[in-house]
Amino acid sequence: MVKREIDIAVIGGGAAGLAAAIKAKEKGIENIVILERNEELGGILPQCIHTGFGLRYFKENLTGPEYISRFIKKVEDLRIESKLDTMVLEITPDKKIIAVNSVDGLLELRAKAIVLAMGCRERTRGALGIAGTRPAGILTAGTAQRLMDIEGYMPGAKVVILGSGDVGLIMARRFVMEGAKVEAVVEILPYASGLSRNVVQCLEDFNIPLLLEHTVTSIHGTDRVEAVTVAKVDANWRPIQETERTIECDTLILSVGLIPENELSQTAGIVLDPATGGPVANELMETSVQGIFSCGNAVHVYDLVDYVTQAGELAGESAARHVLNELPSLRKKIALKAGDNVKSVVPQIISGEEPVALHLRVKKPMRNVKVKMGNLSIPKRVVRPPEMVVINLTEKALEKLEKRDELEISIEEETEP
Amino acid sequence: MSDKEIVQKLKTEFSRDPELSKLQLNVSCEDGTVHLEGEAERWEQVVALGRLAAGVAGVRGVVNRVWPKSLPRPKKKRKIKEKASWDGMKVDVVIVGAGIVGASIARELSRFDLEVVVVEKEADVAWGQSKANPGWVHGFAGVDVDPKSLKAKLCVRGNAMYDKLAQELDFPFKRTGLLAIVTEEDLLPMLDFVEDLAKQHGVPVEIIRDREEVFRLEPRITEKALAALFFPTYGSTSPYLAAIALAENAVMNGVKLLLDTEVTDVIVKDSQIKEAVTDRGTILTKFLVNAAGLYSDEIAEMAGAREFTIHPRRGEMVIFDSKFSSLYSHNLAPATLKSDPYTKGGGIALSIDGNSIWGPNAEEVPYKKATGTTKRGIEIVWEKFSQFVPNIPKEAMITAFAGLRAATYTEDFHIAPSRKVKGLINVAGIQSPGTASAPAIAEMVLEILRKEGLHLEEKPDFNPMRKAPPSFHALTNKERERLIAEDPKYGHVVCRCEHVTEVEIIEAIRRGATTMDGIKFRTRAGMGRCQGGFCTPHVIKILAKELQIPIEHVTKRGRGTELLPYEMKQLLLRGGQVG
Ligand SMILES: Cc1cc2nc3c(=O)[nH]c(=O)nc-3n(C[C@H](O)[C@H](O)[C@H](O)COP(=O)(O)OP(=O)(O)OC[C@H]3O[C@@H](n4cnc5c(N)ncnc54)[C@H](O)[C@@H]3O)c2cc1C
Ligand SMILES: Cc1cc2nc3c(=O)[nH]c(=O)nc-3n(C[C@H](O)[C@H](O)[C@H](O)COP(=O)(O)OP(=O)(O)OC[C@H]3O[C@@H](n4cnc5c(N)ncnc54)[C@H](O)[C@@H]3O)c2cc1C
Repeated sequence: MVKREIDIAVIGGGAAGLAAAIKAKEKGIENIVILERNEELGGILPQCIHTGFGLRYFKENLTGPEYISRFIKKVEDLRIESKLDTMVLEITPDKKIIAVNSVDGLLELRAKAIVLAMGCRERTRGALGIAGTRPAGILTAGTAQRLMDIEGYMPGAKVVILGSGDVGLIMARRFVMEGAKVEAVVEILPYASGLSRNVVQCLEDFNIPLLLEHTVTSIHGTDRVEAVTVAKVDANWRPIQETERTIECDTLILSVGLIPENELSQTAGIVLDPATGGPVANELMETSVQGIFSCGNAVHVYDLVDYVTQAGELAGESAARHVLNELPSLRKKIALKAGDNVKSVVPQIISGEEPVALHLRVKKPMRNVKVKMGNLSIPKRVVRPPEMVVINLTEKALEKLEKRDELEISIEEETEP
Repeated sequence: MSDKEIVQKLKTEFSRDPELSKLQLNVSCEDGTVHLEGEAERWEQVVALGRLAAGVAGVRGVVNRVWPKSLPRPKKKRKIKEKASWDGMKVDVVIVGAGIVGASIARELSRFDLEVVVVEKEADVAWGQSKANPGWVHGFAGVDVDPKSLKAKLCVRGNAMYDKLAQELDFPFKRTGLLAIVTEEDLLPMLDFVEDLAKQHGVPVEIIRDREEVFRLEPRITEKALAALFFPTYGSTSPYLAAIALAENAVMNGVKLLLDTEVTDVIVKDSQIKEAVTDRGTILTKFLVNAAGLYSDEIAEMAGAREFTIHPRRGEMVIFDSKFSSLYSHNLAPATLKSDPYTKGGGIALSIDGNSIWGPNAEEVPYKKATGTTKRGIEIVWEKFSQFVPNIPKEAMITAFAGLRAATYTEDFHIAPSRKVKGLINVAGIQSPGTASAPAIAEMVLEILRKEGLHLEEKPDFNPMRKAPPSFHALTNKERERLIAEDPKYGHVVCRCEHVTEVEIIEAIRRGATTMDGIKFRTRAGMGRCQGGFCTPHVIKILAKELQIPIEHVTKRGRGTELLPYEMKQLLLRGGQVG
């Protein structure tokens, strides 16, 4: 077995991992290895051939491949080592990494610091419990995207999309552009779960019907998908039988949510937050295991890659400081708890002493709200579940904040005086 | 009772029933086999008629052709296939069906100097009932089953044969035992009776009357547990890996396995089997073993010798995450008196993969393709079993699947030479516990064939041993290193969730997989938490390359299930027309 001692191992070469590796290198760490199971760097972005990336970070509207190639080039220019086609199998709490590829065979890396940037996976049919048969023609939106935009094959010609997540919306447009018919995008919630700009640009501009408060109750066809049954749902999300109707189609695309990939975090004994599915992280993006950091979609699912890059940079910087013995352990720990209309918050632990950006996901849309956190109250015009709410806790705000061991963050509608 | 008396008795039975008496029926009986024809209102009536007929003393089998007016008849889709090079070949035995039963029989026959062909309509082994079950290797057929029935005897015997079989053929098998939990007060005085029944079946059982002892064995079981019955011989296997192992060993020993080939007709001359006609060609044979599961009645019909009708009984099963399943260490089942005579009652299986599989339930369905799951079925299974294992939450549900039991109306296994056509051996009605019984069924079929005149001469070079392909996931790091040294492709993990490597996928193809589902069931690639999201594109490419076919021809499970039917731009070139 190949055994090596390294300073920092970055697991995952997507937007988050690359940003972390670059930042750590810039902080003066030499011995960094990026471990990536794909045959190329970039994570999910090489298959996202639409625009909409980098508006914040580069102030430019880039495609996914364009955005990520800037980071890949930087990794190459900085001569950061990356091992491709390399699957990490296990991480131990004492930061031993077991990985495998067909060149080195099994690898055992002992790292001073680890950055977890494994991204996320798509929720599947099983998790939804849709009844019916199991024909060919059911796939998740991300898999469809890969098959079409990387491999060059069409999975079907007459499509229904379940779920209005961003990937589903993007794929609705891709299918139409490639000559397929998209019969409908079916969403159980009363609003789309993807970004508003995607609803406009991908559905409305292409006359694709969006069926809100509807779901797919059954799949038909023994060999190939032949149709799906859709129904309107009641207030408790239960299908209303009288509203059932079948839509003929040969393909059902699922875009019903993303789940952070954290099997490795579990082997390392890292505490996960049930609300995000990712590690509990502090404001330095350090997990519950000292010296192991995490960033990107592995921590919680971001809406914009620009934030992912920023989180990656923070995690990379912290990992470098850890290696250099410059990382302070938080003197004070304030645990942030999700309160009314808050689904999750990252980081989950802050010191209250350093400025920090909090990323929240809300449960339902609201207008003219106040984000309440202890004695702080920050106004926001709109909050929507698809869009991450970013709260910048500035030095000034922190001065005012009454620091307790635990603080609840809640979002309340302003009552008109 | 004579045939005439049987018809008389049945007619009176039907006339007593307020609903059935209204139906226009043709009832006849020939040599103990009842034939029913006519139209019913609903499917339940069809099943009720068959059951009433089977209940009459002296009835050997029930052929029930009654069909409900309101239901469309099942459609037959014939896929045109090319003639194969073997068209016209001559063999000693044709086995129809490569489920666990057909595969077991094939392996038994491969001990002898014979030409044997197994014909299977699906693209891989075990895609009928044999893949759609939780994999219990039952210790016995159940307290509600007559100990003198065929299935009672074959189950106990088959169960005992599993250790040797699993060891020779290298498929997963564990004797975990079954703990049947008593929660009903009224059952407590009956435990001696159950013990006596078990004795009649010949299955060992231990009565655990001490409640504390039950919790020592299974600490997280329902608080309502009062006592338990422990059946130590119960085990778990992977029914499809077992069937694949049996088929592979048979093929190693000279049996020919024709996948994706359907028997469409059986030619009989002078009451003797002559030919099996398939959609790829004709096979000349004197013996035809009908192990076609749900379709065994149709095969018998092709030979003009129908003695039974299969009425599909759907069972839905739910799989739970192994994280929670590991909280329990036995196969579990509720012990109850109110058991449904038409199912083993289902249970909470500790699958060989470490998941917990609950169910199945039982529901009569008219169609043999009705293997879809239903919301209601899944709910029934959850309601029935969740109370016994309070530590498994609903969120731990990974997925659900359904299978159809190939039940005859007499409900026992029907393993016998046809009474009309020489050379036709029916191995039908093999519902639960068919997995457990399969090795004993094969033994019995061998004896029938011998009696019917098949000359059996042992081959000196028969090799009973078969090795499973290595599974990277299950190996230690040392063993993994050794494999990678042999073949670097072992270092290439294709399925990330289940850690399946490229070599394992290529090896599965070498051993007969030609489809995505074939790869999935043989290697577990695509069975994990992402359900193939990541590995599907890679597996498609490996299949295309190894089978030397275009990507567009790669299927999920055989023709008609192509995964990527069009090349990019093909639809645009057609003007966006959906073809
Ligand atoms: C279809 C789609 C459309 C999007 N559209 C937009 C948009 O328009 N604008 C925008 O700003 N954002 C968009 N996003 C969001 C943005 O692209 C992602 O948030 C971002 O790319 C996530 O980066 P990541 O590094 O966290 O994860 P990923 O890009 O998923 O990278 C994770 C990497 O880790 C590797 N890995 C995981 N486990 C292991 C292991 N055990 N061993 C080795 N390697 C491993 C994976 O192979 C992968 O390469 C979109 C996302 C998707 C999926
Ligand atoms: C829901 C459910 C749960 C069960 N649970 C258990 C259990 O826990 N333990 C247990 O012991 N048993 C169980 N059983 C029973 C067990 O699965 C079956 O008894 C066993 O699999 C029967 O095997 P078989 O080979 O006879 O049938 P099958 O596996 O159905 O094989 C028949 C084969 O014949 C093929 N075929 C049909 N027609 C043709 C044709 N015309 N030409 C070519 N090929 C053809 C089919 O494609 C099929 O592959 C269960 C069954 C079900 C449905």
